[in-house]
Amino acid sequence: MASGTDNAPQARPVSAKVVVSGGFGVGKTTFVSAVSEIAPLRTEAKMTSAASEVDDGTLVASKTSTTVAMDFGKITVDQGLVLYVFGTPGQDRFGFMWNDITAGALGALILVDTRRLDECFNAIDFFEQRNVPFIIGLNQFDGAPHHDTEDIREALDLPKYVPIIRTDARSSDGALDTLVQLLSHILTTLAQNATPVAAAAPAPVAAPEPQRAAPVVTNDMRSAAMSALAAERGQ
Amino acid sequence: MGNDDDTELMDSGSFMRPYLLTGGRTRSDAGELAVEAMVAVSAGAPMPSQKELAQIYDLCQTPNSIAEISAKCSMPLGVARVLVADLWGDGTLEVLETTRSDDIAIVRRLLDGIRNR
Ligand SMILES: Nc1nc2c(ncn2[C@@H]2O[C@H](COP(=O)(O)OP(=O)(O)OP(=O)(O)O)[C@@H](O)[C@H]2O)c(=O)[nH]1
Ligand SMILES: [Mg+2]
Repeated sequence: MASGTDNAPQARPVSAKVVVSGGFGVGKTTFVSAVSEIAPLRTEAKMTSAASEVDDGTLVASKTSTTVAMDFGKITVDQGLVLYVFGTPGQDRFGFMWNDITAGALGALILVDTRRLDECFNAIDFFEQRNVPFIIGLNQFDGAPHHDTEDIREALDLPKYVPIIRTDARSSDGALDTLVQLLSHILTTLAQNATPVAAAAPAPVAAPEPQRAAPVVTNDMRSAAMSALAAERGQ
Repeated sequence: MGNDDDTELMDSGSFMRPYLLTGGRTRSDAGELAVEAMVAVSAGAPMPSQKELAQIYDLCQTPNSIAEISAKCSMPLGVARVLVADLWGDGTLEVLETTRSDDIAIVRRLLDGIRNR
């Protein structure tokens, strides 16, 4: 292949994305910094009606424009594969930039401060509704009571198959380990979807559940249909 | 809770220019691109004359994601997306592959790669 650069064989990396989410001040930015090989980059996530024309034809910033900083980091996994880690913006959480940031994500880490559990409810709903696999990371804030993870599972109304782990967003090792756990959960979820036998079927819960395990886009419609069928026929 | 970020940005002179570039558009006619999508200059494509587009062109001599372009060129993400999509539409940039969210082989590769660091 003729190319102007001498690193031509590695010139076309594939990119993938995971998301770090959760409520206000739970350590999203800290986590992204801890895993990223580059200084986390910040950008502004929104531009809706940021400029509007006034009478004399000049453009002015309209009042409705809110600019939200969004951070993301990068991990070059091998020369042909790059993983981006995007943090969801802390404010205006459920605006459309959440869709932009999460569309096509492999999965999500939802960080939780155990002193303010309710702050992650919206994030959980968001990823559940979109069938994005996620895990819960409990950040160990100083002075936070040490709850049993199963109590937290109950409080968050999460099924058994959602991993709840303790993490420390401040340490690079701890954060990378958390990322590994997220990726294994994604792998497990995908593998389960790919086989018609639901070996570890979700435990029944009171509320009607969306098919959390299904990816946003199914690679193989047939196998998805088959596994749905198998599930219907009674595992 | 008050948030002063936007006021600050509004006041800075550099804030408006990118929006003027896109003509207020939030989408490009060329289509939508993912924020993590990597783009690179197409072989032989000429450098655009407009300053911000030329900046993107320079950066994309090596592959960069739209999010990186946004941060490195200090332009809001929404603007970077539109400009990059425009440059893709006219053939200046080509879009590299992003993984499907259900690609087991890629997830396995990510897992092994990160586990072994
Ligand atoms: N003890 C402890 N503190 C943490 C941890 N992670 C983050 N912090 C601290 O918590 C504070 C908030 O962290 P950030 O990373 O800014 O949180 P954020 O989620 O990005 O916050 P917003 O973007 O404002 O919503 C900082 O002072 C961090 O140092 C953790 O794992 N343990
Ligand atoms: Mg933050």
